[in-house]
Amino acid sequence: MKNRLLSSTLLWAIIAFLILAAMPGLIASQMVLDLIIHVAIFGLFAISVNLLIGYTGLISFGHAMFYASGAYAFGLLMQTGTWSVPAALALAVLSSALLALVVGLVCTKTKEIYFTFLTLAIQMMFYSTILSWETFTGGDQGLTGGFKKPVFLGIDLANANHLYYFIAGVVIVSLGLLWHITKSPFGYALRMVRDNAARVEFLGMNVRGYRIAAFVIAAAFASVAGALMSLYVSAAYPNFGYWTMSGEAIFMIMLGGVNTFLGPLVGATMLTLLNHYVTAHTKYYGLVLGTIILLYVLLLRKGLLDIIVERFIAFRADRTLPKKQIESRLP
Amino acid sequence: MTKISLKRRQVLTAAASLGVAGASLGFPSILRAQTAQTIKIGIPTIMSGRIAQLGISSTNGAQLEVDAFNAAGGFNGQMVELLIRDSKGKPEESSRLTRDLINSDKCNFILDCDASNGAFAVHEVVRGTGTLCIHASPEISTLTADPKMKIPNAFRTARQGAQDAIVAGQYAAEVAKQNNFTKWMTIGPDYAYGRDTTALFVRYLKHFSPSAQVVGEAWPKMSQPDYTEFITKIMQEKPQAIFTCLIGGDLVSFIDQGNLYGLFNEIEVFAVALADFTTISKVKAMPKRVHSGTRYLSAFPNTQANKAWANAYSAKFKDSPTNWSWQAASGMDFMLEAMRQTKSVDSKKMSDALRGMQIKSPFGSKGMLTLRASDQTLVDYATGWGRISNKLPFIENAKMADWGVITDLELKWKKENGWA
Repeated sequence: MKNRLLSSTLLWAIIAFLILAAMPGLIASQMVLDLIIHVAIFGLFAISVNLLIGYTGLISFGHAMFYASGAYAFGLLMQTGTWSVPAALALAVLSSALLALVVGLVCTKTKEIYFTFLTLAIQMMFYSTILSWETFTGGDQGLTGGFKKPVFLGIDLANANHLYYFIAGVVIVSLGLLWHITKSPFGYALRMVRDNAARVEFLGMNVRGYRIAAFVIAAAFASVAGALMSLYVSAAYPNFGYWTMSGEAIFMIMLGGVNTFLGPLVGATMLTLLNHYVTAHTKYYGLVLGTIILLYVLLLRKGLLDIIVERFIAFRADRTLPKKQIESRLP
Repeated sequence: MTKISLKRRQVLTAAASLGVAGASLGFPSILRAQTAQTIKIGIPTIMSGRIAQLGISSTNGAQLEVDAFNAAGGFNGQMVELLIRDSKGKPEESSRLTRDLINSDKCNFILDCDASNGAFAVHEVVRGTGTLCIHASPEISTLTADPKMKIPNAFRTARQGAQDAIVAGQYAAEVAKQNNFTKWMTIGPDYAYGRDTTALFVRYLKHFSPSAQVVGEAWPKMSQPDYTEFITKIMQEKPQAIFTCLIGGDLVSFIDQGNLYGLFNEIEVFAVALADFTTISKVKAMPKRVHSGTRYLSAFPNTQANKAWANAYSAKFKDSPTNWSWQAASGMDFMLEAMRQTKSVDSKKMSDALRGMQIKSPFGSKGMLTLRASDQTLVDYATGWGRISNKLPFIENAKMADWGVITDLELKWKKENGWA
């Protein structure tokens, strides 16, 4: 069973990478590649948030803190000029995971709305620190001056195609790991915690321990997304850690779907494309996007991928099955 | 009933799915058809939200120059086209849009009209692509003062905080000597621009007037609606003069609320960013003793050329030009002149030509603007201070700053920072 899951994950990862790798050859447009990079990074960020929201039942409004910590840690390490990209990336993720462990220990003492607002409060403290600690973080200007990207293993990240392949590769590996986590016994334990924490306690499992673990894992992958964005823009900015960034991730989850693993990625695609088209054609971006999302939420009421999967299962299932049984078949 | 609703949902779902799939598969088709007959200049800027005025007035200023250039026949029959993109104040979006403008829209050059943090993002993109870029809006000094930022293809026609601080310090010291002011207070927005500008002003105030004392500081947040606590603090400290680098609506709110408390009855105000049409016209009651640095006024410099430019702008856009307008217009003028001089649209050739270039301009202190070769930044623009009234031309006895003094002190400041 384990081996089958691992091999199918690997197979999907290879297929995804091959498709993305073929893109530069098929599409002679750097813009499309840039959009894919944005979708990949925001998708990874949103999926990491969904590990908390969709799988663990913890609504975090402060997840952008780890996106920012990854971006700043990576950017600061690269600006020293003494680190290779993989080493800086690993250290950025590790430092963000440690930060998440501390924050998680505090936040998981609370539940529901209190947890949500505590994450928001700590994120805003983190954001204020970024703004205030000017000598270290560059204050409200962010990390300026760029950084060199030393060649490693023949990968030259100053080359736009190499950068694209690297970011796509790291995102696919990260998604593969996250997928594996959600399909592992640990992932199913998280679902149990989400559905009935009291019952899990009675089974002798440590609910808080599971929540902390989920929090740290989600933060680590959010920091990968942040570090990749820092690599892409050669900088890091305070708004990476602002509450609206967390809001955008939740938005993506709402648009794409909370019950499917790739739902947030679909949401990230939708939001990025909407942003691109609307910005290119009108300055009333907020009005157009707000109207589209309002209609979407009012009429569809679920994430797009959730609906598609639900309809697909309903289509395949016996029509006489009760609705509850159909819903139980959702991934 | 249920059946109908289910069908409707299915239709909506299918439509939404098709929309996303279509958009995903079809987005290469949004690439605009390339017209060989146009020279494209990309402008990343902020066109929406609280500081949309930045983008609107910058792009208007640039468009005015482009229209005149095209009307005169363009470049070898090729017209210049501006492609404007809204970064919404997000640096990562500025980065993506700039790459998009260069790689997909095939823009020949970039006229950066973004805010400071966006400008740094744009700068990193053109560092990689080698595209000629002129930063026309960001006023942060480090963008060109810090040598680590220097790249051969990026220039700046935006004024700088450091230069403004020298001019402000010199003027304020003169007024202080005439009136025996020694007690000062400062009030500035609590972010990098406010703290940097205030610190530099105090430095140059003390340089020109060593007896000056700063008895207190106030740091309101950006877009703060209520200034009561800061007004109370100022009234308690009883300074003889205030320096403020609050900008736009924040400055208007501070003056209007200060008037309610009679704050300015005994206190002289020095506001670095008041003398801009869009700000000055919003103040309900102008205090009697207010001085300001000139951002953009048609009466400064008091020349026919400047008045004519302001009139042309107002006639075309039914609005008044701002500081951002003249900066973008100057950036565009330099770009167009580089095209003429090099007879090409090659970024490298044009960059070489721009280094040290001088052009005739209504915004020059002596009718000329210079892109200083050493740091590729604008000098010789008309900058000065004067007393403000709320009636046209809004400024009285405006004193033009001496660029010799500015350059000397700026060089000392750079040396202290290890930048020169």
